[in-house]
Amino acid sequence: MTTGFSLPSRFGAQFLGGCYAPETLMQPLLDLEAAFQAALSDPAFQTELKAELRHFVGRPTPLTPAPRLAAKLGLKALFLKREDLTHTGAHKINNALAQAILARRMGKAEIIAETGAGQHGVATAAACARLGLSCTVYMGVTDMARQAPNVARMRLFGTTVVPVEAGQGTLKEAVNEALRAWAGRCDKAHYILGSALGPHPFPTLVRSFQTVIGEEARAQAMEQSGSLPEVVLACAGGGSNGLGLLVPFLDDNLRRVAVEAGGHGQALGEHAARLDGGRMGVLHGCKTLLLQDEHGHTAETASISAGLDYPALGPELAALALDGKVEVRRASDEDALFGARLLCESEGILPALESSHALALLSALAAEGAATVLLGLSGRGDKDLSTYQSRLGI
Amino acid sequence: MNPLLPFLMAGDPSLEALPGLLAEAKALGLEAIELGLPHSDPIADGPVLQTAAQRAIARGATPLRVLEALAGITESPDIILFTYLNPLLQLGAERLLSLLGPTPVKALLVVDLPFGEEVGFEAQLRSAGYPMVPLLAPTTTLERARQILSERPDPGPAAPFAQRFAYVVARLGVTGTGQGTDLQPVAQRVGDLKGLSERPLAVGFGLSDLKSLAAIRALGATPVIGSALVQELAGGRSLSEALSERLVADA
Repeated sequence: MTTGFSLPSRFGAQFLGGCYAPETLMQPLLDLEAAFQAALSDPAFQTELKAELRHFVGRPTPLTPAPRLAAKLGLKALFLKREDLTHTGAHKINNALAQAILARRMGKAEIIAETGAGQHGVATAAACARLGLSCTVYMGVTDMARQAPNVARMRLFGTTVVPVEAGQGTLKEAVNEALRAWAGRCDKAHYILGSALGPHPFPTLVRSFQTVIGEEARAQAMEQSGSLPEVVLACAGGGSNGLGLLVPFLDDNLRRVAVEAGGHGQALGEHAARLDGGRMGVLHGCKTLLLQDEHGHTAETASISAGLDYPALGPELAALALDGKVEVRRASDEDALFGARLLCESEGILPALESSHALALLSALAAEGAATVLLGLSGRGDKDLSTYQSRLGI
Repeated sequence: MNPLLPFLMAGDPSLEALPGLLAEAKALGLEAIELGLPHSDPIADGPVLQTAAQRAIARGATPLRVLEALAGITESPDIILFTYLNPLLQLGAERLLSLLGPTPVKALLVVDLPFGEEVGFEAQLRSAGYPMVPLLAPTTTLERARQILSERPDPGPAAPFAQRFAYVVARLGVTGTGQGTDLQPVAQRVGDLKGLSERPLAVGFGLSDLKSLAAIRALGATPVIGSALVQELAGGRSLSEALSERLVADA
């Protein structure tokens, strides 16, 4: 039996991922896979993408030593991979720009996207403005309120931001609405999914456009310190940042750690920690670890960070975790705020709340005996200023 | 030919009302109905069915309670259970089959399960008498349609409509009334599919007015009425009131 795809659509020993899409979207997904493969083997695509990543996004991003923070935490060395210094301020632009170029090659003049923290929305809006594509972004109303600066940025770039009122008004509902919108316009529009989730080929597509983070970081670590760190660490919502940093280190003898949102409690509905709290299920087109109730209905989630506030772990990252290749840990809202403050005071860098979850784990890693850590600083924290102000009383 | 395939959302207005609605549907002479299992994330549904699912879930219409409410009912058309995959996966094939046994369910329409993704699960259900309804969208090429129809085969003329028909999605997008559906491409599509297969066809998405229903019948296919019906029932109309004209309307 052939499903018509030519790339592997499943990950790991438990065959996570797959393509659980409504029939209307199947041919568009088959077409997308074909276009993706054609682009990857086309030197013109690679040349254009590389040039745009350099001149528009600002790659390569630096690998910054953080000696004062390392000393405070009892680490020998800490390096920060600075995705916060990309144009639009987070790693999301790597994938958004690449998919926008791919969409233009496919003759799609309209772009649809979802966004949680707004970083993927802003990145997509910027890429669309640059390439002359029209763009509509679906965003939950809760996220629009807590990430208001990003809503304004998207609108300045000429993007239509559609508020999604349903449910908790966060990323899950935004993905629902973006998938519905794509089903209605899939003949004209490309859907730029921002996380390594959704139906095949999206998880593979997003991961392959994000591994530039880890490839650069690995080469920079070798160049700057002559060796690899003992631990590579990233936060993980769907997994675009986690996979982007960690996958290029999969063959290395070191610890790979992804950090989920521990929210404000252990009970279902109080966090977005899928590894411990989730069960195998299907949401948004893929099979993976999913926070759900006993009826197979998606559970509510909670996190101070809009970008990590999603009930499913991306299928490839979930597979790597279940197969023992990536450790998945959690950090609470409070821990993340503490981690953010520490980085601000020690190094003069304001991290996004998402990245702060990775920072929050550093003291635990030091206590476990880690001496050298490379941390993916996925984004900058300007969008989170109002949360920092109210929660940290500044 | 089956003149109409209505869709009801289980648990809307209530699970207690379900046996009465099914009996009324049978009394109207309906051969089959689609019954929606309310889901938390109905990605293929428009606002009307989303809201109906939320109402039903809020009133306790979990998959388990819906299937238990159907147990033992005989005064009912054949039921095609319209659902998303995850609730079925969480029950597992064994438990699902034991729950389906005493119900009038004859087939499953799983919106987010293309053929080939859950081969063992699907085969186990089919061999126990619960085939998956093949869905054919406007984006489905004829070559793919041929493959879908062979992966989800026709059990043959002796089987009831519910187990034989293929569902033709009339337009892009999600379920719902919205803008009217352009019937010209639908006519073309139904003609092409009739050349591929002998099995009955149902056509749905965006059909509700008498003229559209009659036009689908004139093509030799069964029109599906979903969102418009769910909305009318929620507004207090009875099933008989909502369907009587629609059952007899003709081109």
